[in-house]
Amino acid sequence: MGPAIQSSAAIDRVSEEAIRRLVDEFYVKVRADAVLGPIFARAIPGDWGPHLATMRNFWSSVMLTSGRYKGNPVAVHGRVAGIEIDMFDRWLALFEETCNELLEPNLAETFRAKALRIAESLKLSLFYRPDRPWPRGAA
Amino acid sequence: MTFVVNDKCIKCKYMDCVEVCPVDCFYEGENMLVIHPDECIDCGVCEPECPADAIKPDTEPGLEKWLKLNAEYATRWPNITVKRDAPPDAKDWDGVPEKFQKFFSPEPGQGD
Repeated sequence: MGPAIQSSAAIDRVSEEAIRRLVDEFYVKVRADAVLGPIFARAIPGDWGPHLATMRNFWSSVMLTSGRYKGNPVAVHGRVAGIEIDMFDRWLALFEETCNELLEPNLAETFRAKALRIAESLKLSLFYRPDRPWPRGAA
Repeated sequence: MTFVVNDKCIKCKYMDCVEVCPVDCFYEGENMLVIHPDECIDCGVCEPECPADAIKPDTEPGLEKWLKLNAEYATRWPNITVKRDAPPDAKDWDGVPEKFQKFFSPEPGQGD
């Protein structure tokens, strides 16, 4: 990754429009990604419209406390065929890249920190086993 | 990691949290709510919404007792996703000490 592209038009406050742009541009990267692309293509074989709407609602709920998303992301991710723990790092790297391209640095950091916590939580829910070390590879 | 509800919720049960929770992970007892630790995604949206300051991240020290209570009763109590009115005397119980010892009820609430 190169340095963040900061234009004078960088978004400096959370809004539904900011979330829409972030989500839409992020998933363009995801779909083009060598690791994540095939996983998402299998999970969402048809129209991406509903998924993008879901993800806009999710981020709206998290960043604007709008209550627009209601779901169970732990269960949804548990059903994704081929999901592996390292993919969360790839997801986070692409998300951070998109944030840095679109958002003013403080706002980018707010989104990034939130995504990191949620990703850690999903990883724990999906991959943590009481009889194995955590994080993976520790001990 | 997860957020947990502690005994500040008891007899206050404002329920502002259930409205904003994106993942519907609150469960309702007779006089308090708990969070299902396996469903919470640690987004933190609920924490500042609680008027009683009863929701904390489990990374804070001393919350093991509450984490255990949340995990146990989340499987026994009904899910709640729609806010109802808080008890009429909720404000009177806000900040009262030792609510767990005196008032905790293991009975389920009505849920949605």
